[in-house]
Amino acid sequence: MNEAATPFQRFFRVLVTVGPGGLWLLLFVLLPTLLVLVASFLTRGPYGELSGPLGLHNYARVLEPLYLEAFAQSLLVGALSTLLSALLGYPLAFYIARHPKRDLLLFLLLLPFLTNFLIRVYAWLVLLQREGLLNAFLGAFGLGPYAFYPSFFAVLLTTVYTFLPFFVFPVYASVERLDWQLLEAAYDLGARPVRAFLHAVLPQTYPGLFAGSVLVFIPAMGTFVVADLLGAGRVVLIGNLIQQQFGVTRDWAFGAALGVFLMGFVLLSLYLYARIQGERGLEELV
Amino acid sequence: MKRAGILVVLLLLVVVGFLVLRPKEAKAGATLYFLNWADYIPEELLKKFEAETGAKVVLDTFESPEAMLAKLKAGADQEFSLVVAPDYYVLQMAREGLIVPLDKARLPGLKNLDPFFQDPPYDPGLTYSVPYLWGTTGLAYREDLVKGSVDSYAVLFDPAQQVGPFLLLDEMRETIGAALKYLGYSVNTTDPQALEKAKALLIEAKRRSVGFAGGVEALNRILAGDAALALAYSGDVLQARQEDERLRYALPKEGGTLWTDALVVLKRGPAQELAYRFVDFLLQPENAAALSRYTQYATPVAAAVPLLPEEMRQDPTVFPPQEARAKMEYLKDLGPDIALFDRVWTEVKAR
Amino acid sequence: MRRLLSFHALLVYAFLYLPILVIVALSFNESRRGVRFTGFTLDWYRALFQDPRVLEYFLNTLTVAFVSTLVSTVLGTLLALGLVRYRFPGKGFLRYLLYIPVVVPDVVMGVSLLLLFAFAREALGFPKLSLLTVILGHITFQVAFVTLVVRSRLLLLDPALEEAARDLGARGFQTFWYVTLPLAWPGVAAGALLALTLSLDDFVVTFFTAGPGATTLPLYIYSSVKLGVSPKVHALSTLIVGLSAFFLALGYALSRRRV
Repeated sequence: MNEAATPFQRFFRVLVTVGPGGLWLLLFVLLPTLLVLVASFLTRGPYGELSGPLGLHNYARVLEPLYLEAFAQSLLVGALSTLLSALLGYPLAFYIARHPKRDLLLFLLLLPFLTNFLIRVYAWLVLLQREGLLNAFLGAFGLGPYAFYPSFFAVLLTTVYTFLPFFVFPVYASVERLDWQLLEAAYDLGARPVRAFLHAVLPQTYPGLFAGSVLVFIPAMGTFVVADLLGAGRVVLIGNLIQQQFGVTRDWAFGAALGVFLMGFVLLSLYLYARIQGERGLEELV
Repeated sequence: MKRAGILVVLLLLVVVGFLVLRPKEAKAGATLYFLNWADYIPEELLKKFEAETGAKVVLDTFESPEAMLAKLKAGADQEFSLVVAPDYYVLQMAREGLIVPLDKARLPGLKNLDPFFQDPPYDPGLTYSVPYLWGTTGLAYREDLVKGSVDSYAVLFDPAQQVGPFLLLDEMRETIGAALKYLGYSVNTTDPQALEKAKALLIEAKRRSVGFAGGVEALNRILAGDAALALAYSGDVLQARQEDERLRYALPKEGGTLWTDALVVLKRGPAQELAYRFVDFLLQPENAAALSRYTQYATPVAAAVPLLPEEMRQDPTVFPPQEARAKMEYLKDLGPDIALFDRVWTEVKAR
Repeated sequence: MRRLLSFHALLVYAFLYLPILVIVALSFNESRRGVRFTGFTLDWYRALFQDPRVLEYFLNTLTVAFVSTLVSTVLGTLLALGLVRYRFPGKGFLRYLLYIPVVVPDVVMGVSLLLLFAFAREALGFPKLSLLTVILGHITFQVAFVTLVVRSRLLLLDPALEEAARDLGARGFQTFWYVTLPLAWPGVAAGALLALTLSLDDFVVTFFTAGPGATTLPLYIYSSVKLGVSPKVHALSTLIVGLSAFFLALGYALSRRRV
């Protein structure tokens, strides 16, 4: 797009912008990922060290029903968390972007997240446990006590809580840039509010929506701490299994294979998404 | 331009902050890097050692021994001098080359140890390690929440004898060990059939349980009323009992496990000389007694026992009676057979 | 419609602050472990101020968070710009590489980075495990998040604005500084804030990459959660929220006065 620039200038610009970050990714992301990839083809030695022979046996094990079940459970948690984050976060981003004191609201959104993640998770535990605050509150109305925890519900709720800002911030950055004239034009042309929104507003927020969904869905699938604390070992996600292989049962090779499987799944989904969308703008998203 | 100003100020703040806050490099040899469980040594003991030797102690803590070992194996063993490890890790660490036989000439305090701990099953002849504290694993429960008596693993593993909602301890060897013990095997058996039976028992128990939890975490959940009982470590129960009188501890009649946490000096670690001095320091009766009082765990230093308060010495939770001790077992290092346990645990946890 | 939106926002903010209220309440609670409120006390605050270690962990945490956020925001913003504006060989590969730090489970990332650092230490003599290695680790996952957020903003900007600036004689850097960056600013700020919270929360990567004396608050808090949260941690969290709110109010009041 810079027809005026000489090849040297173009090279220089790429070098300055992409160079440092790209080098960082190659050194600290690609290199360790290759290590993990190699480990995933190795075998667990008698004492938990990595050793030969090379093979696909770890991947064969990943496909056992036991592990696929955990994978399906992770997909479910990821999908539901993304959906709930969108329901909570998308309107909120609009509210904030249109508010005269938006800086204040943004800060108030961030404030709870300055306390540590684990402390917030623990606070949910206090709210949800049997002799906890929620049951005490319901008890005042003669209800319960209910076993909110440990449960799938508790894991989901806390996951949404944890990742909500990851959804709101990117969407906000898109909404803030929104061209409202398009909406007015749609109204002028006689469109009803829903239709006007779908055609004039929603498409403009796609980049933010996409970034937000990715930043919620992917970490929500791989997280293990929430499932560990609020599921108490009864909700098993792929992240928990991986953690266990590295942490407890010292099968690094199998843990690496699970990790590669998860990474491969996500990257392939993104690739297919870009392929199917095809349109220039959306393809750029991935 | 305002933005440029903010950026410059931020940058300066960061640079200055980094220079000021950067951990100071102590003079070589003058700092002991000590890796221990969280909240497992009183601050005063570290201060006292620093005052006696003029050295500095940097304490780092871990919560999961498996993660600690994974970290040391991956190369962090060059950074720490001294580690407190579970007994069954000692021989494994030796096999992996993380530790070498101790130079006992530098540990005159060893003579203060109870004779039993001078030749423990997990490290015969104390070749590689020095005992730090010891305790038992048994059943902790809240008196008001259980219906029926708690004296056997059956409260976990027999649906007919369940006395209340229970938690499983999130420690592989302890929990599989309990199932094996209930079935009448040794906690250290590697008989695949026995392990297969234990696995079935655990999967069934998991279905009836209210989940898994770590040692102290489980006690907190019992105090909070989420569960009535769980497997727990003796000293933790004593600490938690200060919060709630209704908490009780029982050793199952099938026999529980006896364990020792052990001090090991890392082969490639810094400040070896200081590490030895610290180990010997902890073997001195008054220091061992201070450690025991703070953690509520029993001390292996015989000469320190008379220095403990009367009620601690008489407490069967701290020092179990001889006939109970006779039925208890140490978790042993299983060598390559640990893979069998790993597989069982993975399946129990994933189910 | 607007009222509905306000009500929705109110509910979401209530959801966000509910656990924070619990933490504040617990910090004044006498009972050490239980969740029952047994009485009001300031003991935990007193204990906090008498514990030099917690202060040290806090300073470590801030050092790591600020340095890593700054570096990752600069790297990530530039990278996003390059990815959106230019074509170059390997671009597609780099785009997919960006997702790896988002998708890879913390423990895999922590272990693999530690292996890398340990290997470099054997071969080159550095880096020694310390706060520096923690910072390197944090930047690694932050860069990806920053880049993805900033890029979603840049995609919305009209390149014509930059071309216009250039036609008016602005040089590369001037265009970037006076046109692109101000337009991208909400995205950059959002990316930096996310990077900051990620760093403040991380404990798995920190655990594996930290050397002796490089303990951060999340490491301390993780063991407290597992070993029974010390109410000192609640007191500390309350102070963090309180101080942030105070500085916010102060800054707000000052900026008002100037206008």
